[in-house]
Amino acid sequence: MNEIFNNLYEMTALSNLIADPSYLIMYAIAFVLLYLGIVKHYEPLLLIPIAFGVLIANFPGGEMGVLQASETGEIIKDGKVYNIWEMSLPAIAHDLGLMNFLYYMLIKTGFLPPIIFMGVGALTDFGPMLRNLRLSIFGAAAQLGIFAVLICSFLMGFTLKEAASLGIIGGADGPTAIYTTIKLAPHLLGPIAIAAYSYMALVPVIIPLVVKLTCSKKELMINMKEQDKLYPSKNEIKNMRVIKIIFPIAVTTVVAIFVPSAVSLIGMLMFGNLLKEIGSDTSRLFDTVSNSIMNTATVFLGLCVGATMTVQAFLNWTTIGIVVGGFLAFALSITSGIMMVKVVNLFSKKKINPLIGATGLSAVPMASRVCNEIATKYDPKNHVLNYCMSSNISGVIGSAVAAGVLISFLS
Amino acid sequence: MEESIFGALQLLVVGMITVFLILTIVINLGKALIVLVNKFAPAEETSPKKNPTAATNSIDANTQAIIKATVDKLTNGKGTVTHITKI
Repeated sequence: MNEIFNNLYEMTALSNLIADPSYLIMYAIAFVLLYLGIVKHYEPLLLIPIAFGVLIANFPGGEMGVLQASETGEIIKDGKVYNIWEMSLPAIAHDLGLMNFLYYMLIKTGFLPPIIFMGVGALTDFGPMLRNLRLSIFGAAAQLGIFAVLICSFLMGFTLKEAASLGIIGGADGPTAIYTTIKLAPHLLGPIAIAAYSYMALVPVIIPLVVKLTCSKKELMINMKEQDKLYPSKNEIKNMRVIKIIFPIAVTTVVAIFVPSAVSLIGMLMFGNLLKEIGSDTSRLFDTVSNSIMNTATVFLGLCVGATMTVQAFLNWTTIGIVVGGFLAFALSITSGIMMVKVVNLFSKKKINPLIGATGLSAVPMASRVCNEIATKYDPKNHVLNYCMSSNISGVIGSAVAAGVLISFLS
Repeated sequence: MEESIFGALQLLVVGMITVFLILTIVINLGKALIVLVNKFAPAEETSPKKNPTAATNSIDANTQAIIKATVDKLTNGKGTVTHITKI
């Protein structure tokens, strides 16, 4: 009888939980992320799959946690050594479990990030950017955080490739961060993906914090529409539809010539956008890309990224360094965008609200929505959403270009 | 790339210059597109919208509304229904 109870006890996860209570920390993290997603509505489409991935990955015996391979592709499971690059997909599914199969097939191959970019492109309207082209340059300034943290991380002891993967978190672009890390430091993919997506989801917390520390009330009350009336734009657009169709084709061509390594991201982004802008002729493709494909990719990406956050992979100093460094990169990117607006305002008659600089990082359209809320809090009539979208969208291009540069120089 | 602080600084300089350069090109490309499209393909003059009801008396208002809504959705609001013919 005693033996039966003993076997039952061993069968449950309780024995492992009592032997190693650090699992409880991961449950707490999962519950906090679920709370933020469900109750606070912080990027629920992203945060809920990630949080649930974290939860299911951390039940001992459940075999839903992603096993990180070393730089040479070695994985140790139950004392047995596997080489991930020599295993077939069915063997991965059989020996390492379902989640590892999904992870190594969809994420590690670099398949999902461009697919997500295609969906993002289909959901992006370049109209606000084309109407406010001047503001797009702040999407470049906000990439400074990437390179600043690269230097800090290198000084802290990371290799250049690892530091670059860590710095790219500052681009606030999950797919770009994953893609760059796969190319430069695949062994750090788990913690970097988690940090990138968690900070993207926490944009409503981080941007107001940085804005509060760097901007005055007077600056935040700069009304962009009034500035437009005082100093109207010279670029009147007579046929937006045609421009919107040509623009993605032209940008892809230009970026492909200058930074070919960014084409897999920019090219897919622009392809998705082109399908949207053509209209009825490609409406079926647009519908598939922006709904079915995008939603499927988001579900698998979220679950797989969450499942990389196992107790063994997460609770160590490297991961904690990445989480701290990622936050620094994120905050620095927002700050550098704001600072560039301040510098431009010193020399320009037409003043710009610094919130437009704060949205120079990606995280479209959440960063713009958050900044619009901040602006309307100070002046209910000051809607800056369209202006913010300009730098926000150019930030997507900027971070993809920055990733392209890092990959070209370091891989 | 050299694994030194100079290598990291070099990346900072090259990276930021490239990002600024590419976005400046994109901005100027956008401006050039606006000028060219304004010159060579300005918006087609929209003829006053014909009332489809007049031409399609035989189709009831409910069906017309459904057709208009479908065209609107399929063309993302860019198309208009000018004539409905029963076949």
